[in-house]
Amino acid sequence: MLCEKCQQNEVAVHLTDIAAGIKKKYQLCKECAAAGGVSIHAELKKHKKFTLTEFYGSSPSESSNQDPTADPGCSKCGMRYSLFRKEGKFGCSHDYQEFRSDLDELLEKFHASSQHRGRAPGRFRQQVSRQVQLDQLRDELTLAVTNEQFEEAAKIRDQMRLLESHS
Amino acid sequence: MSFESAKSFVGEWLAGEGKDSDLVISSRVRLARNLPGIPFSTLADDSHREQVADLIGSALEGLRPDLQLNSKNLDDLDSIHRQVLVERHLVSRELALGSGPRIVSFDDSEAISLMGNEEDHLRIQVVKSGYCLDEAWQQMDQLERSLDGQLHFAFDQQYGYLTACPTNTGTGLRVSVMLHLPALVITGQIEEVTRAATKIHLAVRGLFGEGTEAQGDFFQISNQRTLGLSEEEILADISSVLPKILSYERKLRKELLESKREWIEDRIGRSFGILSHAKLITSQEGLEHLSLVRLGVCMGLLGNLTLEQVNRMFLFSQPGHLQANEGRKMSSDERDNKRAEVLAGILQEN
Repeated sequence: MLCEKCQQNEVAVHLTDIAAGIKKKYQLCKECAAAGGVSIHAELKKHKKFTLTEFYGSSPSESSNQDPTADPGCSKCGMRYSLFRKEGKFGCSHDYQEFRSDLDELLEKFHASSQHRGRAPGRFRQQVSRQVQLDQLRDELTLAVTNEQFEEAAKIRDQMRLLESHS
Repeated sequence: MSFESAKSFVGEWLAGEGKDSDLVISSRVRLARNLPGIPFSTLADDSHREQVADLIGSALEGLRPDLQLNSKNLDDLDSIHRQVLVERHLVSRELALGSGPRIVSFDDSEAISLMGNEEDHLRIQVVKSGYCLDEAWQQMDQLERSLDGQLHFAFDQQYGYLTACPTNTGTGLRVSVMLHLPALVITGQIEEVTRAATKIHLAVRGLFGEGTEAQGDFFQISNQRTLGLSEEEILADISSVLPKILSYERKLRKELLESKREWIEDRIGRSFGILSHAKLITSQEGLEHLSLVRLGVCMGLLGNLTLEQVNRMFLFSQPGHLQANEGRKMSSDERDNKRAEVLAGILQEN
């Protein structure tokens, strides 16, 4: 994208100016921004807080996405993905669901993983342990059927049904 | 500590006791948790904050009564007492400066503290004196399980605990140790340590954590990754690097005593003299001299002076504590004068 003032250089600064309650946005190159009194270095120094853009570079969708329907935002809190990328903060826990398709790459860049391996809340721990038990019983059922131990297989099947009815 | 008085008490974590307390001031574990269906602080309005405060308040009431947590809304405290809480590491600067319902809750020993409506809905912290991350984690483990029984924390099978910032996603666990490493700084080796720590994804920060620079030879080392590792693995990462840093610092201290004894004695003695007799001491100057005096205590060069006294000097000379003990706002010059008086007063106890 070219600077809206000189129409020559690439845009380096996305400036939002709020004066008398009116918000105006400018897309400027480094030189035109500096001529207007905006120093990139000074601006960055002011923003001590972490933003995703600083860490990961700008998102391709952030600069090229002009279509609001392509980034409609979270159905619960309204947070748009482009804003999340800019600010580095989610709007609510549902954003993780909404932005799932793009999140893995971001999380892997920072944490070298996108899969949780730590503890889980009690309500999930039960689910996890139920799943582990079901997997074990399924293996036992296969073994019982292979060995033609049908009485044993029927018992295992009943246990599995009981467990499944609690999930 | 009561909210109103901060005159003579330091939290348990500043006792100057525990393993490796000559180098490790404190060990801290922190968990970030959120409640589903309520916006995070970036989008929350006061009614959301109220809702979070109510839910957390009820959950805290359901905790073991022997914990005896003191809870308060930060809006009910003046700016000086909010500053006192920041200096005691019971709340973050962000929470102290925020607006709307914000909760702080901590036990009498100040080992356990909770913040409601910080960046995340709930932040839980356990701090211990010296190097004892395992003990801190065990206490945290029990506390978090009790809270989990009462609050439904936002969780996803893939991403783990869902936090406002993706840098905390997963375990929501930040493990940190506050270190005093003057010999590494004096000998110019500290950058090597910082580089090595960064290489294994640990962050080196200043006294008050994120966004603060190291002052007076005090450093916080903490994990950066919170996702893809279990809580135990995160603790093990810090524990794997820490003994190396500690033995490096100890080796350099020994070398300083052997090869530059007069020089280091002179520096420590000068700092002791300034803290004993100066009439005006700025915050930064105080911290620099306290660092050398602390080194002197650990090297056995300053007689009966104890780490507990040095820690007390450190805490009570901070701006919030100076003003809280005086009962009024003070100008910078007044604080420098009072600081000198407080520091000299503690040194004269012996």
